This record gives sequence, structure tokens and C-alpha cells, in this order.
Amino acid sequence: MSAPHLLASGGGEEFEAPGLHIFDWGPLFPDGPSWLDWLTKPVLIVALSALVTVLFAWRAFRSPKLVPKGIQNIGEVGYLFVRDQIARPMIGKDGDKWMGFLFATFFFVLFMNLSGVIPVLQLPAPSHIAFAIVLAITVYVIMLFLSVKHQGLVGYFKNMMFPPGLPKPLYLILAPIELLSNIILRPFTHAVRLFANMFAGHLLLAFFSTVAWWFLVEKLTVLGAGVGVVGFLMTIVMTAFEIFVQSLQAFIFTLLAASYIGGALHPDH
Amino acid sequence: MVRPAMSEEEPEPGPGADETSSHEAFTNAAWSIPSYILSGMAVYGGLGWLLDHWLGTSALFPIGILVGLALAIFLVYHRYGR
Repeated sequence: MSAPHLLASGGGEEFEAPGLHIFDWGPLFPDGPSWLDWLTKPVLIVALSALVTVLFAWRAFRSPKLVPKGIQNIGEVGYLFVRDQIARPMIGKDGDKWMGFLFATFFFVLFMNLSGVIPVLQLPAPSHIAFAIVLAITVYVIMLFLSVKHQGLVGYFKNMMFPPGLPKPLYLILAPIELLSNIILRPFTHAVRLFANMFAGHLLLAFFSTVAWWFLVEKLTVLGAGVGVVGFLMTIVMTAFEIFVQSLQAFIFTLLAASYIGGALHPDH
Repeated sequence: MVRPAMSEEEPEPGPGADETSSHEAFTNAAWSIPSYILSGMAVYGGLGWLLDHWLGTSALFPIGILVGLALAIFLVYHRYGR
């Protein structure tokens, strides 16, 4: 049951582009006991990503040496990256307190995303929107809690809906936009941004590799071979591009999480 | 800004609070724009759609979307643009 066979669906005479069905994964063990039905490939990938994140942090910082070696080096570079590019710029002097959460979020999302290009796994878990939603809701709940804790319930809505320095009548027009944007659309765009990037990336990769497989292996013809070669080359190019996008989206997701936390702690801008 | 490599406790927020807040403001603005624009179009497009529905007109829905778009851009500009 290799990936190309799954991709080149149907086995008909016509080339068929991969569609939504490539995201449908039934139980990992269809013949296994029914209490194991929840275990699908995306679930397995999420669990593996969490495990890898824990192992990575544990191995890197279990017994830190003054002169770092091996995996501690990677851990420290990762830590510095999250701290100096995300935590401190977004949250300020309180940023270091949030490093545990931000470091874990960044690497968890990164590993989930990168599983899209890791052979055999080959599915970025956030291409199922549920996983992106759970992460976004976690950040959202933290943001709401911190906002109310640091600004008060009234203060929170006041800071959100009435940015200072506008004539009073204008607030009547603008406050609904602020409310909808901050309370409803923010977590929505937070989740969808991650989901849509992973979804589209996976679809593109599947498309080009299906083209290559179909025109070079299944239906090799003189005319079609050129198309197959293009598909093959594009698969390589898009794989590199996807690694870039997957890393970038992990960064952006964490950056926004930090930005929301920072906004909740220091509302005055 | 050259930052020292792996630090012990270096005093933060380091190189000027100004840089920190302007960086934050820029990032916030850049990533808030989609939700503000969606929000503006939804609120005033929705209002226009409702009015269309009640008054039996058809022009208020697109007008509402445009008005909401303009207001959202104004709001982003006011919050982060200066």
C-alpha cells in the first residue's frame, strides 16, 4: 500500500487529480478491535509530534552543560530563536515567563507541519482543521483569561472596542467591527491560516507527485513523458517550498499566540 | 541589533523599549488586517443585507460591504498606522 497507489485513485483510464479523499483516513487498523477506531493516521501524527517535542526538550535540557554539545546545541538555538524572535519582541519583559508555552507550541506545530514531508507520514496534521482549531482555542482561552485578569472585564472590552483618540460618534460605528474582529474572527483566522496553508500545500504535493506517477509509470507515453518529468521536478521544488512554508507557519502561529498574550498583558497600544 | 549569544540573566527588555513596541505594533498591524477587514465587511455587509431584506432593495448589501471595508482600513490605520 504505497503512497503512489493511494494517490493514483480509481485505476481508470483517465488521469484523475487527487481531491479531498486524500485527507480521509479511516481507522489505522480497520480489522482491529472497534475500541481502537479513534486511532487514525492524523491522530497518530499528532501523538508522535507531541512525543517528539517532549523528547527533544527533555534530551536537550535534561542535564545542560556549560559548553553545549549535540542536541543541547539545537535546543539552545531553538530556545534563543523563540525567545528573541517571538517572546521578547511580542510580550516584552514578561516574555521569558511564557517561554515554556511558546517553545512547546512552536516545536509542536513545527513537527506536526513537517510530518507533511516526512516519508511514510506524509500528512501535515493541521491539514485537518480540528487540530488547528484546538491549538487556536487554547491560545484564545489563555488570551481571554489574561485580558480579564489584567484589565478587568469592563476594562478589557473598553480597551478593545474604544481605542483612544477618536471622536465619540465614530465609536458607535467602529466598536462592532472591533468586537467581531477581536472576539470571533481572531481565533478563526488564527486557526484557518495554519490549516489552509497545510491543506493547500499537501494538495499541491499530492497533485504533482500524482502527475509524475501517472505519466511516468502508469501510462508512460512519448507525449506524456514530458508532463511526467515536469511533475517530478515540481514535486521536488514544491517539497522544498513546503518545508519553508511549514516552518514559516509554525513561526507565525507562535508569533500570533505571543502577540495575543502580549496584547492581553499590555493593552495600551 | 546584535544580541549576545546564550545568556545568563541579561537585563531585559534590552535595546530600548521603543524598538520592541514598534516591532510589536508592526506585527500586530500586519496580522490583524485580515480579521479587521473580514469583520468590517461582515458587520456592515450584514447590516446592508438585513436592510435590503426589510426594505426590498438590493443595493445596500454591496454598499455595506464597501463601507465596512473602508471603516476597517481606517481602524487599522488609526490603531497601528501612526
